[in-house]
Amino acid sequence: MRPPVDDGHGGEGLDARVRLSRGAIEVDVPLTAAAGQVIGVLGPNGGGKTTTVLALAGVLPLAGGHVRVGGNVWDDGRHRLAPEQRRVGLMLADSLLFPHLRAVDNVAYGPRSRGTDRHRSRERARLELERVGLGDRAASRPHELSSGQRARVALARALATDPALLLLDEPLAALDPDTRARTRSDIAARLTAYDGVTVLVTDDPLDALTLADHLVFIEDGRVTQTGTPAEVLSEPRSAYVGTVVGLNLYAAQGDSHGHVHTATGGLIVTTSPTEGAVWATIPPSAVSLHLHAPEGSPRNAWRLRIASVTMQGQSARVGLVGDVPLTAEVTLESVTALGLQVGHDVWAAVKATEVRTYPR
Amino acid sequence: MRYAAGWRSRVALGVPAALALLLLVIPLVALLVRADWARIPSDLATPTVLPALRLSLTTTSVTAVLCLVLGTPLAWFLARSEHRATSWVRALLTVPLVLPPVVGGVALLMAWGRNGVIGQHLAPLGIQIPFTTVAVVLAETFVAMPFDVLAVEGAMRGLDPRLESVARTLGASDLRYLRTVGIPLVLPGIASGLALAWARALGEFGATITFAGNFQGRTQTLPLLVYVELERDPQVAISISIMLLAVSVLVLGVLRGRWLR
Repeated sequence: MRPPVDDGHGGEGLDARVRLSRGAIEVDVPLTAAAGQVIGVLGPNGGGKTTTVLALAGVLPLAGGHVRVGGNVWDDGRHRLAPEQRRVGLMLADSLLFPHLRAVDNVAYGPRSRGTDRHRSRERARLELERVGLGDRAASRPHELSSGQRARVALARALATDPALLLLDEPLAALDPDTRARTRSDIAARLTAYDGVTVLVTDDPLDALTLADHLVFIEDGRVTQTGTPAEVLSEPRSAYVGTVVGLNLYAAQGDSHGHVHTATGGLIVTTSPTEGAVWATIPPSAVSLHLHAPEGSPRNAWRLRIASVTMQGQSARVGLVGDVPLTAEVTLESVTALGLQVGHDVWAAVKATEVRTYPR
Repeated sequence: MRYAAGWRSRVALGVPAALALLLLVIPLVALLVRADWARIPSDLATPTVLPALRLSLTTTSVTAVLCLVLGTPLAWFLARSEHRATSWVRALLTVPLVLPPVVGGVALLMAWGRNGVIGQHLAPLGIQIPFTTVAVVLAETFVAMPFDVLAVEGAMRGLDPRLESVARTLGASDLRYLRTVGIPLVLPGIASGLALAWARALGEFGATITFAGNFQGRTQTLPLLVYVELERDPQVAISISIMLLAVSVLVLGVLRGRWLR
């Protein structure tokens, strides 16, 4: 992760407010970033992520707001630059290479379209292919490349026009897990040498945490949380973000006695400050499950019903419903020892010191 | 995976299936059986054949060019439009596909004839369309263009619209996108659409004889000549038919080998 580059005149970054409606959702998303930054955009499907990206690219018109990049106005609600007039690069999930062109001509397509002659465009394309480790596949057609190679060609193609804004919309979504991990590190390596603003839309938290400097969560067309990955990981502020970072999250009302009351009628005891409207988090690994009411205090103990049990490597995630809906992460041994079955009731215990709260 | 069919269903469906096949194949075989192969070269050298062949080739070629130049843009609009009216336009386009060709000929007369909706304004200018070679082209275009438009539109609909988004962000104008990506990718569709339309135009009979008449060298295309020769010298009609059959099979072969799979 790199610190934002301060270029001295403050005009090199992205300053945008994307407002438009598409289908059933009204999008209103402010986005700012300094040159060299990678903004990770996350959110549930249909929440407006892709719409935002397409509006930044100029493919969809803004209904309001503005897009300024590197001090240039791309869209201010009255004047709108066409996509081909913007210094923008776009990479989408399925790579979308031009199937009839060789890799080198796919990458050279941008420079050619922007007026560079054939020879210099090819030269630039070869350079970009080398930068993503595909110098030897220049003559290959898209169908002769693996999915990971196609993704890298698509990245090279998007960068061959020296965009000031690089838009990556779920660039790894179409890849299988192995390829995905390798391509992720290839992209990370290439992005360190890129000095423009990158907007990375993803539904994979790992992409966001490993590639992005700053995260923006978009739900229902609105930004629900922004922050560095570390901030978001420790203090999620919406149910969706809680799920993404893997914490049980409750919007709660606290009294001054270390008690917080959840909206669903549950009571949680904590050693964390509890005054007023707070968020409360419980790590799934801090939950223990018991067949009988656990002894000792200060503890939280709730009788809950098992709604789901899924295996995850050497541990199991148990979804529990009741006054305090909860996901617990327990060992496979305890699943068998306790005979955990969907529909059964169990006791879930959490130490008060494991419950963290912060103001809403 | 498919289950092997049981003998009952094989008999129940196999008998009608075989009959269907026979109904299609018998006439073609009969044509081949009755042909006097040794006579074909001299039959095709009959003085009436060459003008008809030349006329058929020129009119169908002009029709194919019209389909390419006018039909392709129409297909492009149909493929992109999400407007409700589009489905009506598409329905309208299929009418000539199912319309009896004679009715097409009558309709063409009502439009371009001496007293036709448009023809009445052309007549004072000394422009007469019915019973001319132009009429043959109009008739062929009327029946053949829908084949082309629908085939090309299908190919264009198969194009991922995001390709254009990507091309645009790379700096291509919408026209450059069409020239460098859109059209090259639908070229196979355009080619098969043209081949279908051309084959349909070559076989056109009803609308032509109604709207353009049957004048040797001017409007008498090969199918019209076949009809005439059938009364005068059936063997010549058979020989021309064999030639047309060969051309059809050739077009199909090219389509299958290259584009229809």
